[in-house]
Amino acid sequence: MTTPDLLDQFFGASASGLTITGKLVTGYATVDGLEVCVLGTVDGTYVNDAAALHLAAHAIDCVKTKPGIPIVMLVDSAGQEPNRTAEMLGLPVYFGHLLTCLEVARNAGHKLVTVATGKAIGGAFLCYGMFADAIYALETASVGLMPVEAMAAVTKIPVATLEELSKTLPALEFGAAPFALLGGVRDVWPVDGGLAKKLSAAIAGADAEDTRAQVGKQRGGRPQAFDVQKQVLAESLR
Amino acid sequence: MSQMPYHELKARERIRAIVDTGSFEEFIPPPERVMSTYLPKLGIPAAFDDGVAIGSALIRGQKVYLGAQTGQFVGGSVGEVHSAKLVGLLKAAARDKTPCVLLVESGGVRLHEGSSGEIGIAEAIRAVFACRSVGATTIAVIGSDIGAYGGMGILSACCDRRLMTEHGRLGISGPIVIEKWMGKEAYDSSDRALVWKTSGGKTRYILGDVDALVNDSTASVREGILSLLSKSAKPDLALAEARQASLQARLDRFGKVGHPDEIWAACGISDVAAATLDEAEEFVKSFTRKTP
Repeated sequence: MTTPDLLDQFFGASASGLTITGKLVTGYATVDGLEVCVLGTVDGTYVNDAAALHLAAHAIDCVKTKPGIPIVMLVDSAGQEPNRTAEMLGLPVYFGHLLTCLEVARNAGHKLVTVATGKAIGGAFLCYGMFADAIYALETASVGLMPVEAMAAVTKIPVATLEELSKTLPALEFGAAPFALLGGVRDVWPVDGGLAKKLSAAIAGADAEDTRAQVGKQRGGRPQAFDVQKQVLAESLR
Repeated sequence: MSQMPYHELKARERIRAIVDTGSFEEFIPPPERVMSTYLPKLGIPAAFDDGVAIGSALIRGQKVYLGAQTGQFVGGSVGEVHSAKLVGLLKAAARDKTPCVLLVESGGVRLHEGSSGEIGIAEAIRAVFACRSVGATTIAVIGSDIGAYGGMGILSACCDRRLMTEHGRLGISGPIVIEKWMGKEAYDSSDRALVWKTSGGKTRYILGDVDALVNDSTASVREGILSLLSKSAKPDLALAEARQASLQARLDRFGKVGHPDEIWAACGISDVAAATLDEAEEFVKSFTRKTP
């Protein structure tokens, strides 16, 4: 799906209020009649320091000029850009700043909803999309830490071994559906023309409580995380 | 308190050297054997603590929650159990409005556990901000050669405060990844001096990403932590706008710079070669003198 088609599915005619700068989308639009702030990446772009600042500036603008409206974050990014100058300038600090701006928005009453529309990989997903109150993915999205081939190259574990194991360990599988089993996304949406209604319902149902570990346990994809968190909370009360 | 070189120590040795004697109470200690279920399936030995020790302790009588990663175990990487221990610790800190100190030594998400550790770090980042919102100071201590990379670099940047030594490095993509991506002429990952100057404590301090740059001794790290415990930085619009302006200015000013030495010189360090050799605290003193 092209970017204009995608924005049209979510925001209809109001998508004309969105600006695409490079491969970053920002602006204000409506979903099912509700005004929202939109920020995100398109076309699988890499996120760097300038991109993080651009998105952060829009989050700040939203808090200042549109109090309390929901913020919709779209993610189609292959990862953080591996670049020595960006590292020298402090890339984690730029990402941390973007997350801080989103937290400021959350504390000011803005709901945060993410839709992974394309690639939602590694640091590019961590630096804003995974910070939302409620996170969803299109069924066509490529969601996860990294594709199996890349994982094999770094860990020196053969692709075949990883693929075999991923049949029982969804954490090792790459894609929207296994990511949902881990609790990383609430739901996977088919691309069938009903996206605006789904997004509207997602905004209505978003709340700031992070339930991903619990959902990951219920769905069986992340069997240990929730219980370990609970155990620490209990032991720390002694 | 002993004056051991911080970077040479293992996780529990670091904790013991930093906290008041006998005050560390570990949560889910190794005998409980809450371990990774992924690593054995990949033929890799698991650790009884999944590479992180967590608990509560006193530092000069002040209660803190404390986590220390073990770089020797799969690069300090963050898997499902490891991340859940950090999330639980941070949530406890937010609940009790108690400072949380993270002795970071990690390359980031544990690839062998795929997206599980990635989601775990995302949860931990949410929990860091839960602490910040209630004034429970979060401090990332980065003083090991492995440093804080990937998702742990991002998480460290989200904490209220950062303490580094010269041994520590803060980044996202490591030098080997960047060399593969950009070529050896752009970044030679075997050039240790360049690697440390790109991501190490001194450059991070000059640019304002670090609140305390201290010598590589447990006594200095302890004193540094003590100086930051009460310095929470609640995220608000004023803080966000100030940071936006300063990070934009940094990008405008240094976005085309080739070598970190140029940044050092531009920031007022007249003798870069001498400053490179200075011990961290000496470096801080002379840097402050030059830039009042």
